Amino acid sequence: MQITIGQYFPGDSLLHRMDPRAKILITIALIVGVFLADSVLSYAAMFAFAFAMIRLSRISVKYIVKGLKPIMFIVIFTFVINMFFTTGGTELVRWRFIRITDSGVRAASFMALRLVLLVIVTQLLTLTTSSIALTDGIESLLKPLARIGFPAHELAMMMSIAMRFIPTLMEETDKIMKAQMARGADFESGSLIQRARAMLPLLVPLFVSAFRRADELALAMEARCYRGGRGRTRMKQLRCTKLDAAGAAVAAALLAVVAVL
Amino acid sequence: MPIEVKDLTHVYMPGTPFEKKALDGVSFTLENGEFVGLIGHTGSGKSTLIMHLNGLLKPTLGSVTVDGLDLSDKNVSLRDVRKRVGLVFQYPEYQLFEETVIGDVMFGPKNLGLGAEECRARAEEALAQVGLPDAALWEKSPFELSGGQKRRVAIAGVLAMKPGTLILDEPTAGLDPRGRDEIMALMRAIHAKGTTVVMVSHSMTDVSRLCGRILVMNHARLTLDGSPADVFADAARLREAGLDLPPCAALAERLRGAGFAGIPGEAFTQEALAPAILAALGRGNV
Repeated sequence: MQITIGQYFPGDSLLHRMDPRAKILITIALIVGVFLADSVLSYAAMFAFAFAMIRLSRISVKYIVKGLKPIMFIVIFTFVINMFFTTGGTELVRWRFIRITDSGVRAASFMALRLVLLVIVTQLLTLTTSSIALTDGIESLLKPLARIGFPAHELAMMMSIAMRFIPTLMEETDKIMKAQMARGADFESGSLIQRARAMLPLLVPLFVSAFRRADELALAMEARCYRGGRGRTRMKQLRCTKLDAAGAAVAAALLAVVAVL
Repeated sequence: MPIEVKDLTHVYMPGTPFEKKALDGVSFTLENGEFVGLIGHTGSGKSTLIMHLNGLLKPTLGSVTVDGLDLSDKNVSLRDVRKRVGLVFQYPEYQLFEETVIGDVMFGPKNLGLGAEECRARAEEALAQVGLPDAALWEKSPFELSGGQKRRVAIAGVLAMKPGTLILDEPTAGLDPRGRDEIMALMRAIHAKGTTVVMVSHSMTDVSRLCGRILVMNHARLTLDGSPADVFADAARLREAGLDLPPCAALAERLRGAGFAGIPGEAFTQEALAPAILAALGRGNV
């Protein structure tokens, strides 16, 4: 069992070295850009930018494309739906009740490209930022909201704990699955109901161990006097550098270009 | 039921930056009725190796043959293999899930497609074998039992499938000395009934007390394979693998170095070493 989308890809490229806050804000800006784009040229600009970013991150294009596989179904589905249900424009094909117009093809292609771009951009963020840096960044960005009672630190802590335990739980799932398979359990064949029932020997031990881990973690945190975020200092201070300013400038320029085109 | 492992190589996540070679050209044959200790430090490839022996993992290169069945062959039913080779994972009590002890032990036989009565009979037999013959306990939830009892229930769950070969990954990990002795006695009893037993461990003492043959893994390779006396004679290579001699073998080695040449290499348990020392002193060949 492997999930490669969004798994941190260790490295030391320019993108890896940027401040997580800058990266999060730039990613949000790019997402806005993706929705602003509505011409062939603006999409070309976005893709050129995304490609340049991939090169800068020194992650192979192949790896990124592999991460797109799981969403291919959604992309194709949206493409087909948009193509058939957009009206207006000149008719290209007419066969019984099916009508395809040029504006339909255009809207469908843009929608598909939009989805692909969204995934590439967000993937780049998570691939070049470790989960700890990511949650630190989110906490720091949400901090102003703490004044009106928003639990910024708690939220970030919960996120980092959740992310920290994803690989652990995956490993655990794999282990329990193998142990039950060694006892002859079959997770792969049978009808839907049979398969759902076959999950029971996997889910019960998994829940038991998740609760046990949660208990142990709470105890360990308390034993080290964890008291929430107030007055807490950190070992790794986030610092914005010229690199981040340059990144922001490039992103702003791109946004302007996309808006104009 | 011999198990033949030939040039077995396994690579995790090939083609990604996380690629790791966990086994590198491992070959050996397990004969019927052996009691084998598989030893090595953490990450040496022990667990990966045993998962190949019942087809949970497929070799990247090389082959594993169980009783003439080639595990890489797509026509070989994995159920047939798992019926022959039982695998008890580390901390097996974490895989208990049923509402009752007996129900959990019956899970394996049920998966083999046996009838309800046969399953029940096998489960009762297995529970008695692991030292839990009390029928009142069988209807309890497995989560109510003590740690040592849970582990024995989990082992019974594999024994109920009546495998010809039983592999146990660190069966004594995390138990108190008494629980450990009970599990060791259980393994001895299982072996005495004719089952081939493979015990994975990093406790040299446990291995030296039980096993007739020791396999030593180091960095994905099999570095030593032989009787305990042979393996302990090669202390240099053991240390290279990050392992120490069991205390008695270490003492015997130092005594030999100090001039007691008469102490044999076979004296690596308390029971064998004590008379050997007495004999050496009695003869007075200092």
